[in-house]
Amino acid sequence: MGTLEIIFMDILYVSLLIHIVLMSVAFYRVWRGENVIDRLLGLDMLSTLTLAVLVLLSLINQRIIYLDIALGLAALGFVGMIALAKYVADEQMF
Amino acid sequence: MNLFLQVIAILAVVVGTLFSVVGVVGFIRLPDVYTRLHATGKVGVFGVVFLLVAAAFGEPLGWGRGLFLILLLVITGPATAHAIGSAANRIGLPRKGAERDDLVYTSKSKS
Repeated sequence: MGTLEIIFMDILYVSLLIHIVLMSVAFYRVWRGENVIDRLLGLDMLSTLTLAVLVLLSLINQRIIYLDIALGLAALGFVGMIALAKYVADEQMF
Repeated sequence: MNLFLQVIAILAVVVGTLFSVVGVVGFIRLPDVYTRLHATGKVGVFGVVFLLVAAAFGEPLGWGRGLFLILLLVITGPATAHAIGSAANRIGLPRKGAERDDLVYTSKSKS
């Protein structure tokens, strides 16, 4: 294992720690938000940061299956955000 | 692994983490829902896309899924931001520091 790969692993673990701290901040904004759109924004950002954590886990463990889970999470998060925004705006789903 | 690809992966991870930190700090500090929407779009597009660039360069078999996920995020990120902004406009949330409201006839509160 070369010295550049050791530096890469250290950077990946520090980035994973930073992303978990950012996820706790986003979860606090979902819990104590100002209004409903603010909480919806926090939920969107929480989903995106979960995606980033999955990509970092895939880079750390060198396993390709975390990217598949990230793909499913991205598609489901997109559909869920569109449906929640339409429900908040129109007060009905369809 | 190739040295050049390794350096590109390290730089992409650092830049993506910096974009995520800047986006979350903007999400805390900015005063309004619409400006906060501008800040969270940076996390969704730039932060995760740079991490996926690192995954496409640094992982031996992950470039196909990485590129497909980049394409999906670039398409769905602006659509989500537009849906949330349109919902905030339609339920009539106020804008702080705005001198003039161009979308006054489409919001629910002032019409």
